[in-house]
Amino acid sequence: MSFEACFRLLAERLKDDVVVTSAGNCSELWWEIIGDAERVFYLEASMSLASLFAAGIAMGSPKRTVVAFSGDGAFCMNPGMLLVERQLALPNLKHFVVANGHYGSTNDLPHPFGELLDYAGVAKASAVERIYEFATLDGLAQGLDDMIRRPGYAFAVLHVAPLGRHASSPPLDGPEVKFRFGRYLERTGGPQIFDAPLKP
Amino acid sequence: MTESPHGPDAIAQQIANSAASCGISLVATLPDGWITPLITRFASDQRFRHVAVNREEAAIGLCSGAFFSGIGALALMGASGFLTCVYAITKINYTYQIPLLIGITLRGRLGDSAKFHQSNGLYLEPVIAAIGMPFVPIERGEHIDRLAGAYRHSRVMSRPVVVGFTREVLRGEA
Repeated sequence: MSFEACFRLLAERLKDDVVVTSAGNCSELWWEIIGDAERVFYLEASMSLASLFAAGIAMGSPKRTVVAFSGDGAFCMNPGMLLVERQLALPNLKHFVVANGHYGSTNDLPHPFGELLDYAGVAKASAVERIYEFATLDGLAQGLDDMIRRPGYAFAVLHVAPLGRHASSPPLDGPEVKFRFGRYLERTGGPQIFDAPLKP
Repeated sequence: MTESPHGPDAIAQQIANSAASCGISLVATLPDGWITPLITRFASDQRFRHVAVNREEAAIGLCSGAFFSGIGALALMGASGFLTCVYAITKINYTYQIPLLIGITLRGRLGDSAKFHQSNGLYLEPVIAAIGMPFVPIERGEHIDRLAGAYRHSRVMSRPVVVGFTREVLRGEA
């Protein structure tokens, strides 16, 4: 399916959820579509840590659904992330791998492992119980609510075409991302983050 | 047989107490032979949620995210694992200014008989200095409460701080 159409559908349906995006196209396209710098943490270039960063958020925020996007390049760097996510079994963590077979952040250089690796198969071998694969917009539209709204850790593969064009990175410095995101969480019922008193 | 009040398990208990006292409730670990009793302590202590991660960088990612859910966290690992984390730390904790306490073993010092850790030991402290990370060595039993101070310092400066345990401290010999 089209990468852009896929993300537009997701943006339309994930309006109240906390989102962590990974490097390159995921952050760029999400920013281009929604321009939101509050409930989205643009974790650019973390080299595979977006979903575990999201897990840390989800761990202490049981009433929120936390959605993480990893690129397939990131996934191949660290497939063992699924073992940790499986162990944590956070009911509010939802992890998408965006599989476009290309390194979108570096001019769509082909990804050498894209055709070799069965991402859902890796998840199954890691004992992940709820695994989804979406290759069409219709399929995504039909299956998304079950993945996101039914409690339980879930992992999904989004099979998309390469974006095929350059998109701009979110024009935000790191501390701005931190404070906008953190203040949003505080303002919407989350724990105190920034000015929490320190124990002596 | 009664455990020595200064043995590894007793030291692990002291370290866990210090961590709990400052508000740490999440401990993400990867093993090093020196910290086996400490990891065992954290895993069995109800004051903490212990997460065994697949690699050290995962601990950096998980604990950094936990900051945004108000959870105090410690990433505990060996020196060699710490050296694999430099990019994750500079990318996540420096770029976004996210506090984090990291605990490591001070491998390669005098008395470490593991040849395979000596090269890491040669560069460990210079690497920490090179990335400007506050480093708090814990070289004697009475230094253990420095862990709590290091945690608070990381929060105040919104950057990571690393505490390093010597073998002698972890064995209750210093």
